[in-house]
Amino acid sequence: MTLKERLKQVIVEGLNLEEIRPEDIEDEAPLFGDGLGLDSLDAVELVVLLEKHFGVEVKNMDEGRAAFQSINTLVKFMEERGAR
Amino acid sequence: MKEGVPVAVTGMGCLSAAGDDLSSSMESVFRGVRSPAPPRRFSSSHPLTYPVFEVADDLEGWGGGQDLSRTARLALKAAHEALTRSGWNKKDLASLRVGVCLGTTVGSSLNSEEFYRLYLRGENPDLSPITRFLRSNPAAVLAREFGLNGPCQTVVNACSSGTDALGIASRWIRAGLCDVVLAGGADELSHVTYNGFISLMITDEAPCRPFDRERKGLNLGEGAAIMVLEGEEWRKRRGKAAEAFILGYGASCDAYHLTAPHPEGRGLKQALLEALRLSRTAPEDLAFVNAHGTGTKDNDRAEALVLQDLLPGVPFLSTKGYTGHTLGAAGAVEAVFTAACLQAGRIPKSIGFLHPDPELPCSPVSQVMEVKGKAALSQSLAFGGQNSVIVIGKGETNP
Amino acid sequence: MRTAISGIGLCGGFGTGIEAFRKALETGERAKGTVTVRSEEGPFQGPAYLADTGPLDRFVERKALRRLDHFSKLALLAACLAYEDAGDPAWDRSKTGLVVASGYGPLTTTFAFLDSFIESGDKFSSPTPFSHSVHNAALAQVSMRLGITGPGLTVSQFEMSVPSALLTAWTWLEEGRVDSLLFGAVDEYNEVLGYCWHRLFGPWGDDLKPLDFQRQTAVPGEGAVFFLLADAEKIDRPPYAYVERVRLGRGPYEPASLPQEACLVLGADGHKGCGSYYRPLLGRSYPVLCGTPSYGSFPAGAAFDVAAAALMLKEGKITASCWHSGTVSKGCPLEGRPLCCLKMGPDGEWGEILLTPWKGKDD
Repeated sequence: MTLKERLKQVIVEGLNLEEIRPEDIEDEAPLFGDGLGLDSLDAVELVVLLEKHFGVEVKNMDEGRAAFQSINTLVKFMEERGAR
Repeated sequence: MKEGVPVAVTGMGCLSAAGDDLSSSMESVFRGVRSPAPPRRFSSSHPLTYPVFEVADDLEGWGGGQDLSRTARLALKAAHEALTRSGWNKKDLASLRVGVCLGTTVGSSLNSEEFYRLYLRGENPDLSPITRFLRSNPAAVLAREFGLNGPCQTVVNACSSGTDALGIASRWIRAGLCDVVLAGGADELSHVTYNGFISLMITDEAPCRPFDRERKGLNLGEGAAIMVLEGEEWRKRRGKAAEAFILGYGASCDAYHLTAPHPEGRGLKQALLEALRLSRTAPEDLAFVNAHGTGTKDNDRAEALVLQDLLPGVPFLSTKGYTGHTLGAAGAVEAVFTAACLQAGRIPKSIGFLHPDPELPCSPVSQVMEVKGKAALSQSLAFGGQNSVIVIGKGETNP
Repeated sequence: MRTAISGIGLCGGFGTGIEAFRKALETGERAKGTVTVRSEEGPFQGPAYLADTGPLDRFVERKALRRLDHFSKLALLAACLAYEDAGDPAWDRSKTGLVVASGYGPLTTTFAFLDSFIESGDKFSSPTPFSHSVHNAALAQVSMRLGITGPGLTVSQFEMSVPSALLTAWTWLEEGRVDSLLFGAVDEYNEVLGYCWHRLFGPWGDDLKPLDFQRQTAVPGEGAVFFLLADAEKIDRPPYAYVERVRLGRGPYEPASLPQEACLVLGADGHKGCGSYYRPLLGRSYPVLCGTPSYGSFPAGAAFDVAAAALMLKEGKITASCWHSGTVSKGCPLEGRPLCCLKMGPDGEWGEILLTPWKGKDD
């Protein structure tokens, strides 16, 4: 599985998005607000999921906000930080 | 609802990192000192250390040999101070209807790591953490200790519990359900809540900076505070001067989000206006506001918007810079501080605040300030979107 | 001003809703669920009254429930059912209060949070279970979903949670702080609770005998019940009953203060430890009823006692699954008798909730 595919799977399982399949998440769509509809609690949960599954650290939510725009921005952020 | 009659407070007790009792707490806050430090009672494997505000006392002497939680011991110590100041002794209280209403968070949580870790490993752990939990409900502990037979209630409204307990208890007095109520809150520092707040990314690695431009979040603390509320009949009969009065209480739910406050403080406004109306207090009558002021981006922003909108020009401060966020005890500790500051006619600086935040329409006081006025307001915002506001009136004696 | 019950919503081991509850009271059916707990003698399988929150789908879309735990779902389901049972009155929700009682709070989520870091390390602490492990999480979910913005209160006081919380709820209505109030109680079964139960009380069967005070016959249960309360004048249909008064105390309970014709509805639920406090109440002039075999042994069960009493008062006859008295029997008409729910705690503390019947349009 590619990093992107693994990420989508972790998001669906880790955030309990029951009715959504990983492959349904669009790469460019916003993750927060409209789009996938995640909120501030999902954002901090996602930080822990990234650490746990990929060894990627998000130092604070300013960093997080930029990275979490979409799947593509997040994958780029993770690759820059040596995601495993 | 009609406006309420003031309810007298005839004794107060308080302990936190700021001091072991009320007078030492006041002394240290007016000196503008604080001592946040890495936690000593538990260890953490977090890569960073977050400062906390611990009570130095190990409290072993409290509880008369019973196996009680630290939260229950904090409550006992504060209650003891409050009753001593009130002049009531246990024997006298036995013939009255005396209620207990306390707020807590950790004190009601069955989260013993020592027990659970062994359980997960398939072992059969000693049950004493469980029996300790079952014997340590804070309000029940006080009722047992002092032999009290009135209503007993542990309020678990997260961070507004202390304020709510005082508001509820004052209603019990007004309704004639009790002659006296011990009301307040208690909470101990815990590794579990430490991890919890860090995971929410709302804690600061530096000492907290409520309302400051550079603020990054809260620091946890522990403590307890109790007020002895008393009906007028008994107070007049024994000629006891009031240390303070509870003039009114307002409360509401944001119905917005589990952890974030409503961005415009919708619920807080509702609760604040209700508290003012019920206490027959106008904004210009207020000497100051003791804000919730945790030091998180969201909380301080919402509060500042509301304060500027409803109480422009009323000086305000957060005392969490001195005590940390004591969760279920916070509202009670802050109410006691508010009463003591009203008596003293001055408020300490809002410690941790150095730089005004251009995004906030107002800023707290940055030095000790004389205040006039016979009333002040203390407010709390909780997880789950609960908002509680209490208006406190100046007492008749110096504490 | 007289506080009246205009709607009741419930879910428990008997199923969901007032009809399922009535049937359970009439038949006294036993626990239908099974739980397995670890014990030193190997896995123990015991009966339990377990509640299913599937019917919540009728009120809330699945997507919105993704983060809710079982505890919050129980509360939310019962709250929605209470409004439905009351006919969904269009009352101002900014003047509606919300009060929830829970003996133990959201246990499963409390342990789920510990699970997230206890072996893997503190930096993996998961914020979602943490934020749902505060005891007022259920209240928050109900307030958000139903748009209730009046004052809120959650009380955690073990066996005394329900009468303690109801006392404050009653004062808020009586002083006019709120025009209506949603009062509920919720407790969930949990594997660790089951393990501790077995360690403290030993294995258990399915025959809950609440009036057999010498024996330990409690059976674990879970569930939620919510009541929509308001001033009787505000309610446009016959209420279930009036909540006449709520009292709490400690030490011997004196039934002398009961209205003459009242029946006692005991909160005895098979725990031997409280038995000695209930026993002196038998063998006196008033009938004694008990419904706990229909829903099980858990702190929020005290609110199910109130629901049973309210239902009996509305129907005017005794349906409780067990009783003790020569003067009344099942099916026998209540004839205007008030019902007094009484819950005792293990230290001799007691909570009394007195309900009186609605007598008709001119009441």
